[in-house]
Amino acid sequence: MPSATAQDTGTPSARRAHWSVRLAEFLDAHAGRPPRDKTERLAWARAFHAELQETGLAAPGWPTEAGGMGLDLADQIAYHQQMTAVRAPKHPCGLSFIVAPTLIKHGTAEQKKRFLRPLLRADEFWCQGFSEPDAGSDLTSLTTRAERAGDEYIVNGQKLWTTMAHLADWMFALIRTGPAGPGGAGISYLLIPMKSRGITVRPLKDISGGTHFSEVYFDDVRVPVENLVGEEHGGWAIARTSLGHERATAFLSDEFRFRRVVNELHRLAKTSGAANDPLVRQDLARIEASVRVLASNSRRALDAVLQGRDPGPAASVNRLVRAEFDQRLHEVALRVLGPDAVLGQREPTAPEGGRWTYGYLMSRSSTIGAGTAEIQRNTIAERVLGLPSGRKQA
Amino acid sequence: MSAVSDRNDGHEELRKAVRAFLKNASPSSEVRRLMATAEGYDPEVWRRLADELGLVGLIVPERFGGAGAGAAELAVVMAEMGRTLLCSPYLSSAVLAPAVLLESGDEAACAALLPGIADGSALATLAVAEDNADIRDFDAIRTTARADGDRHLLHGTKERVSDGCTAGLLLTVARTDKGLSLFAAEPEGAEREPLPVLDPTRKLARVGFDGTPARLIGAEGAAAAVLGRALDLGTVALAAEQTGGAERCLELSVEYAKTREQFGRPIGAFQAIKHKCAELLHEVESAKAAAQDAARLWSDPTTGEQGLAASVAGAYCSEAYVHAAAETIQIHGGIGFTWEHDAHLYLRRARSSALLLGSTSWHLERVAEDIGLVPTA
Ligand SMILES: Cc1cc2nc3c(=O)[nH]c(=O)nc-3n(C[C@H](O)[C@H](O)[C@H](O)COP(=O)(O)OP(=O)(O)OC[C@H]3O[C@@H](n4cnc5c(N)ncnc54)[C@H](O)[C@@H]3O)c2cc1C
Repeated sequence: MPSATAQDTGTPSARRAHWSVRLAEFLDAHAGRPPRDKTERLAWARAFHAELQETGLAAPGWPTEAGGMGLDLADQIAYHQQMTAVRAPKHPCGLSFIVAPTLIKHGTAEQKKRFLRPLLRADEFWCQGFSEPDAGSDLTSLTTRAERAGDEYIVNGQKLWTTMAHLADWMFALIRTGPAGPGGAGISYLLIPMKSRGITVRPLKDISGGTHFSEVYFDDVRVPVENLVGEEHGGWAIARTSLGHERATAFLSDEFRFRRVVNELHRLAKTSGAANDPLVRQDLARIEASVRVLASNSRRALDAVLQGRDPGPAASVNRLVRAEFDQRLHEVALRVLGPDAVLGQREPTAPEGGRWTYGYLMSRSSTIGAGTAEIQRNTIAERVLGLPSGRKQA
Repeated sequence: MSAVSDRNDGHEELRKAVRAFLKNASPSSEVRRLMATAEGYDPEVWRRLADELGLVGLIVPERFGGAGAGAAELAVVMAEMGRTLLCSPYLSSAVLAPAVLLESGDEAACAALLPGIADGSALATLAVAEDNADIRDFDAIRTTARADGDRHLLHGTKERVSDGCTAGLLLTVARTDKGLSLFAAEPEGAEREPLPVLDPTRKLARVGFDGTPARLIGAEGAAAAVLGRALDLGTVALAAEQTGGAERCLELSVEYAKTREQFGRPIGAFQAIKHKCAELLHEVESAKAAAQDAARLWSDPTTGEQGLAASVAGAYCSEAYVHAAAETIQIHGGIGFTWEHDAHLYLRRARSSALLLGSTSWHLERVAEDIGLVPTA
């Protein structure tokens, strides 16, 4: 692994200089204007991340054994700043970084060897098979089941809202292998090849009219037992694994993105004259205040982590605050656009290609997608404030 | 909603009749079928609205072949249409076009044009906005009209014209030497282009005039006040439509909150959801109050507060509807984010309506102005 070089260069700052110089060189050579065409853009992002991995400059926060750079938190922050500054292409499959920490912590040596490299290179895409028709917020009531038959599991049931299912090579899934009980009993974490016989993917149209998620049906799908991650029935506990520090830095890329988007909105408001409207101006000022508060808040949490302290409640509310900020930002953006905000993306005169109007519709999912805002509030109230649980007592 | 209902018996019957009709005429399946068509409405439903229910000529005086009803009745009808997201040229042809003709005081034009509009045989619309300017920003109107014998020739481009592609009569405003003036143009002489839009349940078009012949309506240079009043009545009607849509969103949310179970109980049992529904009820009821007040005041010119009330309703109902539609998605979770669920159609209608006849900023500024908050230079 080229990342071994990170260890050879002595002091932390020398090491930082080392990787950041290499990253700068890499970005000079590889970042550029994204192709306009969607398919080309995807291929372009894949090639970028394959090269990045090849050069040993992928996954700053992962341990070197897992193929990452093993950077400390301060270096990870610098890394993200460097990437965002040149608008390097995002990894085309964000969901991969949900399964990766679980594999790193709980996967077998074989599993890590098999999956992590193609995952980082974006050679293989992943989808997340958690939600079902009757198990959304209440995920532990899921019923898609696997029965053991020799060295295989036979999976039957249905997943719903599976983002990227139609493009993914693999699904990491929560599957019932035993009776339901408190604490997510009887749930296992399985890796399922999407090409398996018996899998049917039915794409669903979402709010935008586009297809980003699907229904996935399992009809006697055979999955080798070696694709189990962790213990049988022990899937619930490991499903939420993260690499601690990664969670702290995940905010950063959001943060840089929000900052950039707000700047773009300011620019738009100034050039279009919308900023001359005192009411729109007030809205913009409110958004500006929010984006600054957001930044101070995560800086506080990061400082705590950097000093080895618990980031405290600020970190738990961060995600919720971001989701709601994203929605407010787009509300205001539509006010800034003026009446032409009613135009769709296919109308050539739609301001900035209709991206704000599209973003407005898409932003409705930020308080649903990865755990609804209400569930996050419940979790904050119960875990942070110690309020009693709203679950029905068994 | 029966929780807080305000019965005005005269209107209750009208409401029931329209609701019963639209239940069959405008179910979700029809809305979805029509929104995918170019015309965006069902001519048969339009004919029945005109002939059987007499709603197309609702605000047209009887002497011009209409029902001579007031803004209050109009609000009842619009609220029902908003509930079902009816796809029809009602706002353009039955509200804005007759309103501007009537406000113009041009008896001859009214006598010539209103009967056809009132019986539904002619579709008319009002084309005002240009570029990306607010429809209320009359200074932004640059379309010109040049006298040419007994007619005028129009040059300019109108944007976001409701039902601009289907209308057989284009009422529009253009500048002459004397100022803003109202004109009637035949669509044959104009360039019309459908616009891909956020809300496909209401068709919008770009209308280009390039030497398009048109007839002057009312006094030359007198269109600003006429137009302002017509747009105000439109705002009152639209506020009612928004209220109807918001109310339907609340109903959908409450129904779902009672039936969807998670963690072993209906999600409506959770305070997070309960509080949202309660908040929406409060907003929907307030929106109704604002819309009804505006409609009532419209027919009572003694107060001099019609514009103010229209803007209060316009601003409040716009925000309440957008909020109700967004919360409907939230309360439905993943289902609410799908194309198949109607929630996004309400959000699209709500967001787009909030810009159609004056932005919330514009309405709030008018309120500030009318109550003397804006310093005069
Ligand atoms: C764009 C998008 C992408 C997604 N991608 C994926 C994916 O890739 N993989 C995957 O597995 N899932 C995915 N999901 C599913 C997502 O995780 C679920 O939609 C989410 O967990 C909510 O579940 P639900 O839709 O069943 O809503 P429900 O759980 O039925 O919730 C309905 C409403 O009830 C509220 N509610 C429920 N329980 C409570 C409670 N205890 N207290 C207060 N309020 C409550 C909710 O907050 C919500 O407002 C995606 C969803 C979206 C919108």
